[in-house]
Amino acid sequence: MHIDLGLDNFLQLLVNGLINGSAFALLGVAFGIILGVTGRFHFAFAFTYALSAYIAAEVGLAWNLPFWLAMVLGAIAGLVLGVLMEFLVYRPLARRSGAYALLTIFVSSLGLAIMGENLLSIIFHSSASESISGVSITAIKVGSVDFTSLNVEMVLTSWVLILALAVVMSRTKFGRMVRAVRSNPDMSLVVGVSPGAIFLAVFAIGSLLGGVAGVFQAAQTAATPSMGFEPIFYAFTVAFLAGAARPPVVVGLVGLAVGIVQSLSGLFLTSQYAGLVVFAILFIYVAVRPLQLRSVLSRPAPLPAA
Amino acid sequence: MEIQVNYINEILIFVTFAVSLNLLLGYTGQVSVAHGAFGALGGFALGYLWLHHHTPLIYVLPIGFVIAGAAGMLVGIPALRLTTEWLILLTLAVQVIIVGLISTSNTFGGAYGLQDITKLQIFGHQLSSPTEQFPLYLVVAALALALCWRFGESPYGRVLRAIREDEPATRALGKNVFAYKLTVFALTSAIAGAAGVLLVVQSTVASPGTFSFDLSTAIIAMVIFGGMGNLVGSIVGAAVIVLTTPFFESVIKLSPQFSSLWRLVAYGLLLVLVMRLRPQGLIPEGFTVRGLVRRGARKPEPVLGGQTLEASSVSAPAAVPVGGGFPTTVPRAGAAGDSGAAATGSGVAGPRHAAPPEPSELVAERARHRGELVLSVKGLSKNFGGIAAADDLSMELHRGTITALVGPNGAGKTTVFNLLTGAIRPDRGQILLNGQDVFGMTPNKVARLGMVRSFQDVRVFSRLSCLQNVMLGVQGQIGEHVGGLLLRPVRSFTDERETRDTAMRWLDFVGMKDMAAVLTGALGFGQQKLVALARVLATEAEVLLLDEPASGVDQQWVDVMLELIEQLRPEGRTVCIVEHNLNVVGRLADNIYFMELGRISAEGSFSELTGDERLAQAYFGTA
Repeated sequence: MHIDLGLDNFLQLLVNGLINGSAFALLGVAFGIILGVTGRFHFAFAFTYALSAYIAAEVGLAWNLPFWLAMVLGAIAGLVLGVLMEFLVYRPLARRSGAYALLTIFVSSLGLAIMGENLLSIIFHSSASESISGVSITAIKVGSVDFTSLNVEMVLTSWVLILALAVVMSRTKFGRMVRAVRSNPDMSLVVGVSPGAIFLAVFAIGSLLGGVAGVFQAAQTAATPSMGFEPIFYAFTVAFLAGAARPPVVVGLVGLAVGIVQSLSGLFLTSQYAGLVVFAILFIYVAVRPLQLRSVLSRPAPLPAA
Repeated sequence: MEIQVNYINEILIFVTFAVSLNLLLGYTGQVSVAHGAFGALGGFALGYLWLHHHTPLIYVLPIGFVIAGAAGMLVGIPALRLTTEWLILLTLAVQVIIVGLISTSNTFGGAYGLQDITKLQIFGHQLSSPTEQFPLYLVVAALALALCWRFGESPYGRVLRAIREDEPATRALGKNVFAYKLTVFALTSAIAGAAGVLLVVQSTVASPGTFSFDLSTAIIAMVIFGGMGNLVGSIVGAAVIVLTTPFFESVIKLSPQFSSLWRLVAYGLLLVLVMRLRPQGLIPEGFTVRGLVRRGARKPEPVLGGQTLEASSVSAPAAVPVGGGFPTTVPRAGAAGDSGAAATGSGVAGPRHAAPPEPSELVAERARHRGELVLSVKGLSKNFGGIAAADDLSMELHRGTITALVGPNGAGKTTVFNLLTGAIRPDRGQILLNGQDVFGMTPNKVARLGMVRSFQDVRVFSRLSCLQNVMLGVQGQIGEHVGGLLLRPVRSFTDERETRDTAMRWLDFVGMKDMAAVLTGALGFGQQKLVALARVLATEAEVLLLDEPASGVDQQWVDVMLELIEQLRPEGRTVCIVEHNLNVVGRLADNIYFMELGRISAEGSFSELTGDERLAQAYFGTA
């Protein structure tokens, strides 16, 4: 263990954490709204994420578009794919599977993600990565801390989107409908809100936001076919830690916290291990979560009281 | 030739992985994506021990087995109380952490892993070519298959499948669910560890990339495609998935680079299609060759441990086969279900007016002690937040009597049953069962001590047959415990036959004998209630807590249930029923407790309570 507690190092790590954390926040919010409202373990989020990045790269290059426009188009591509997956795969499957829906959808989603990764490889020619053109990155230095203009754009965009979603959820009629369906899909049907339509809408929103995150990652490094797999683990972690039915800002803040903790772990751990910190947090949380204060291994989960 | 043998070897290795995951996922219903990581533990154990210590393979195999098994048990502990999505998450974290730690560690070669793991031998026999390695893989795969078969297709496996279907119901029958889950986690991880060792033998390299999340998903694909809950299916699944690579290379003649990509696209597509079109997999659960033969002979006899697809009352051969592991879309058994299709005589014959098949010594013993205090409850209390679900409750049950617990909805009647059996831990109170304090005991312990309960929402094990459901009620089965299962095979075989006979007698008592081979998920609600009753009766427990045995069914079923319960009284059983139906209560109950808002506000006989105006008002609202 190499401990460097110098202030400069600390500040750099903190800023890195804020940057990564904002990405995690967006991922968590995007995945979380899908999970919270539909209950679907949408592993293929990795696919919509990566597709958005590729489309942004391709159209940006082909039509010589500015970054923002390419990003929007890429995110829309992700949106369309996400909606199609819900409509064509998940929904018919959920109807048939009844009580086993969670598992069948998870497995299908896994299948879609695997298909997606390899189709991207084939279509965009194996694992050659694609950079997004039209991105201008200028380095910024504040005091001793380094970051880039792209980082700033990503952080701002992420939080603007999260706040926008928060406003929509809490103040618009649509947001109320979404919250109704999240809380009780059957009851929503009774009062005239169609869960089916809302499911499609949240897949659209989640895939769109995820796509934005994907484009930013590709702008930072490059688009690769498997680029979605690591972020999706972060998306899961943040969404489950926060609780998928929480408001977007809460989920976002949890994402930020995760990013900061991961980054600051670099004070004590080498960078290789830092990558595992998030999973360690997840593991500890999941392992400890069901325990109540005085409960013992042999205590089973209580039955619902009638 | 060597190339072909190499593929066969690879299939054998993946068979080892797949049958073990099937036991965990297909039989016990635990979704784990960490199987690759457990393989990594075995594989890297080999790499490290061989390269650094020249430990012979014959020792490394058991070492890898034990290490992976221990890790599996450690993972199993937090996994005990998790629902599916959390379990997926936990095992995901485990997968990433284990492989991540290995790949960041210099001892294990970092990201590239350990190379040049060659010149291995076993029993003096060199293992350098595929043909030389073949016997090793065959033996290990066969052992793994035999072990998983023994655990899965046995009374032990029946309990595993019950756990998959409904954990609380399984616990209520006296099974220690946590012990089963821990054992299965440990065993299946251990086998995966052994398979990991083999994988490294075959490839001569131990790299983190081999054991990644991709491996876990590949194994899941094999199990799902082959058929969850069917080990033969896993063999087929492994073969198919392994052979897609040469298929794409030789048959479709793609370049190796493209063929590996298309192969993965194909197998992702396969997962999606299987889930959509045939979720039970290629070979569904319970499908046996015997069953196939029997279907020809048209005899619906239940097969030991498995089940035939035949069900005499089930129509529609064109429908999705009954017995599908997952999920089943089953045609409703045509016979008299709940309201509407009532047809006396078809499906359910009413109860034979034979006596319940209790062992006569037991009956005599109970008759001797009729009227004695069996269950004594004092001061039972439970608060949920600010709400007193049970408030200083006291009650008594006497042997050979039927006591009723009545009251308006929300009074807390089911909660009392939950508290008595330990499904919910009470805050305070004393519960003496035959003088023994069972306060704070787990439901399975309470059940074994002689107090069982049925559920308001029935909770039969849908993908198990009626007979299997009732067999799970029978206590003291040798084959349900690891020791008996492995060490006393002959005895457990005869024991199983006795269990089956006992279960059939109870099914006969409730009139469901003809439906013994039918999956309970195919039954109507009334029929399910009868099976659930038979199941709880088969425990031969002293005290039966029946939660709304006659609710949710129409009159003819109520009468059937009534007659059955009435026949228990002369057998000396102690019964307590929660009921809303006052006819039932009036006819059955020797003593009645009236509950309101968590407390018992009155006690007495039927005429006493119905005569009281205030109670009528509380029960029905304003008069």
